[in-house]
Parts: sequence; structure tokens; C-alpha cells
Amino acid sequence: MKKNKILKKIKLRFTLNGEPVELETLPNKRLLDLLRDDLNLTGTKEGCSIGECGACTVIVNDKAVNSCLMLAGEINGSAIITIEGISQNGNLHPLQENFLKFGAVQCGFCIPGMILSAYALLNKNRRPDEETIKEAIAGNLCRCTGYKQIIEAIKNTKL
Amino acid sequence: MIPKLNYVAPLSLKRTLKILSENKKKAKILAGGTDILPGFHINSKRFRDIELLVDIKKIGELKLIKEFKDRVEIGACVTFSQICESDTFKKFFPLLVKSAETVGSVQIRNRATVVGNCVNNAPCADSVPPLLVYDAKIEIQSLKRKRVISLQKFLIKPYSTALKKNEVVTKIIIPKPDPDFKGDFYKLGRRRAVAISRISLALLLKKKAGIIDELRIASGAVTPIGARLHELEKFAKDKKADSSTFKELSILMGKKVLQITGLRWSSEYKLPVLQQVFYQLLEKVNEEE
Repeated sequence: MKKNKILKKIKLRFTLNGEPVELETLPNKRLLDLLRDDLNLTGTKEGCSIGECGACTVIVNDKAVNSCLMLAGEINGSAIITIEGISQNGNLHPLQENFLKFGAVQCGFCIPGMILSAYALLNKNRRPDEETIKEAIAGNLCRCTGYKQIIEAIKNTKL
Repeated sequence: MIPKLNYVAPLSLKRTLKILSENKKKAKILAGGTDILPGFHINSKRFRDIELLVDIKKIGELKLIKEFKDRVEIGACVTFSQICESDTFKKFFPLLVKSAETVGSVQIRNRATVVGNCVNNAPCADSVPPLLVYDAKIEIQSLKRKRVISLQKFLIKPYSTALKKNEVVTKIIIPKPDPDFKGDFYKLGRRRAVAISRISLALLLKKKAGIIDELRIASGAVTPIGARLHELEKFAKDKKADSSTFKELSILMGKKVLQITGLRWSSEYKLPVLQQVFYQLLEKVNEEE
């Protein structure tokens, strides 16, 4: 019986990287899949799918969240920022510049999420100390760098 | 994989209750979603029959922390981040703030709700032991009636509560404690962040001239669900607040938990750790002025 169940499409209005978006999608779609599959924004990565690794981190209403733990419907009326939306006039964001400068990127899979966690932090607190930075990226796992270069890159970013 | 299910986000509590009463068997309330979505991913049988998710986050009144003269109320959609940033909670309920800070990661705390933590009723729910020592109550609403019960009575067994299918928990009500209470919260996880509690403890102590007037103790993770340890609390009453009482209490703690859980493969190392951290926590709280 369940297999034949009719899924009612949901209508969504939200802003994505500053642009207004209106679309219809399936009610059982995760935000992560809406971004990657419907909107082709593949900078947001899928890692663990259960909110532990942070690779899927995006910004919803100024807060870092795991897009694997949200349904698309939940973002109705919200402002979403993904890694594709933080560059300014074709220039890399200062955080992105510093991740390159400090050698904070190796395989790169965790980096979009890592940068967005740092982005949410810096927008709230321009001069975080090291402990605060560690706390802010505690939900983003990186198996390459050992975090040191990542923390340095964030610490040295002036917005 | 999210199963085939529909999604609604009603704008009022009344509408929510109506939807729930019409879809009793197959509807499930969605607040933070940080337990439900991973549950879908691992195909947990707890969430297998859901056909409709009812998102309550569009209901403004459920998102508020409200302070009154004698109590504070936490709406059903208040997140752990809100608790961490609340001056009211820092002032009156520091144990709850401390536990909230240990929940998951920033991303999780930005979504996960305190009420959801109680409704999910995992053995390791971090906010439960502090809420228990603060004597929190749960307000539950259905179309026909509103009821208020103690959190302790609300929590029945792991992943099961007194909430019925046609009801919504609208808020947690916490009485402001006597300012003479000192306390602390302790959590042991496998790592510092994104860690499931292996041991959690909440303590509130009120002394009169070096004598224990009231001691409240709640445990999480080492008991099947978060629970107050009333026997230990009674034992402590009117005893001297000193190391020898605390040692006796710690021994009793080990015995009590063993009695509740039975002997497990982990008991051999877990119980001594529990006794030791409980003892240290008692000493620490006792030293506070």
C-alpha cells in the first residue's frame, strides 16, 4: 500500500546565494539533494549522511546547518548560502584565499563545509580565539590536514 | 534514503493538532529533525511507518523562551543554540546550558530542540539529567485538552514517552530554583564534540551550615533512560557535606546503577569510573561558595 502512495509536491520560495528562487519539489527530498540534484550546486558534499562529518554544511538564515539533516520543505522562506555563493564579484572570499595560502586544502572534500562553518563564525565573531574556532569547526571532519592549517587560515582571515 | 512520505508545515497549533488527529497512525511531528533524518538513513524501525511529517517550526509561539517570575518556559522548537546563548538560562539554569553546549556540533545545536531531546528519550539525551534535577514539567496539548506532567513521569522507557499520537508537547516548564542551590553537569563521551554520552550526571546541592539540606542527582547513559536517583538523595539528606558522606554516596551510586542495569560487559570498567566522577563532582560542587 505504501508503495502506491501519492507524494504531494511542495512549493518552495527562498533565497539562494542572494537570488530569489521558486520551485516545486518532492516532499521527501533532503535539502542536500535539492541543492545537488535539482539546482546542480555540487559544491555541497555528501559524506556520512547522518550529521557527523559536516561535509554537507550550508548556511540557513545565518546559521551553519547540516543539509543532510533537513528536508527541502524546511527551508521555505529562508535565506540559503552555499559554497558557490560566497565569492564576491568573481573573486574568492577571503576565507577561500587563506585556505589556499595556508595550505589548508588537501583532498578538498571537507573544505566547502569547513569554509561555511568558518564563514558563519566570522560573521558573528570577527576575531575568534583558537578555542572558539575549534568549537565552530568541531562538526566538520577532515582526515587529511590534521586541522592545524585550517585553524591558521581561519585565524588569519580578516573580514 | 528518505522513505516515501508527505510533508506539511501548518502555521498554527490548532491546525497541527487537527492534522495529527486525522492521521493518528502515520503522522509524526518534525521539529529539529536531527534524530528523525538519521533514523531514516539507517532505516530505523522506529520511523519506518511514517507517512506524513508535520513540521511545527512555522508556529511562532513554539520558538520562544519565556521568562516569568517563578519559572521559565522552553517552547517546543527552541534549539540548543538558543539555550546556549540565553542569558536567562545562564543565570538560572547553568547546568542545562552546560549540557546544551556538549550536544553534537554547532550545526546540530542550530537545529536540534530541547523538547525533541526529551520526546526522543534516548538513554544518552544530554539535556534530560539537568532538566530532571531542575524538576522540569512538560506541557502537552491535544485538540480536546491540555495536560502538564513532570518530565520524570513523561519519560517511560528508552525511546518511549507518555506522548500520544494526537498530542504535541508545546513547552517545557522549569521552576526557577532556590538560589542557594549549587550544581554541575558532567558528560563523558568518546571525544569532545559530536559524541554520544557514555556517562552523564547532573547534581544540585543545597547546604545549611555544612549539612546537606537537599541533594538532587540525575544520571543519563548509565541508566536505561535519564533518571533521578531518589534513594541516594534521601540517604544524603541531613548528612554532613564532607568527603566521607560523598564516598558513601559514590559506593551507593555504583550499587544502584548495577541494580538497575544488571551486570554488563562494560560494568567492570564503567562502574568505577562512574563512582569516581560522581565523587569528584560532589567534591567540586561542595567546594563552590
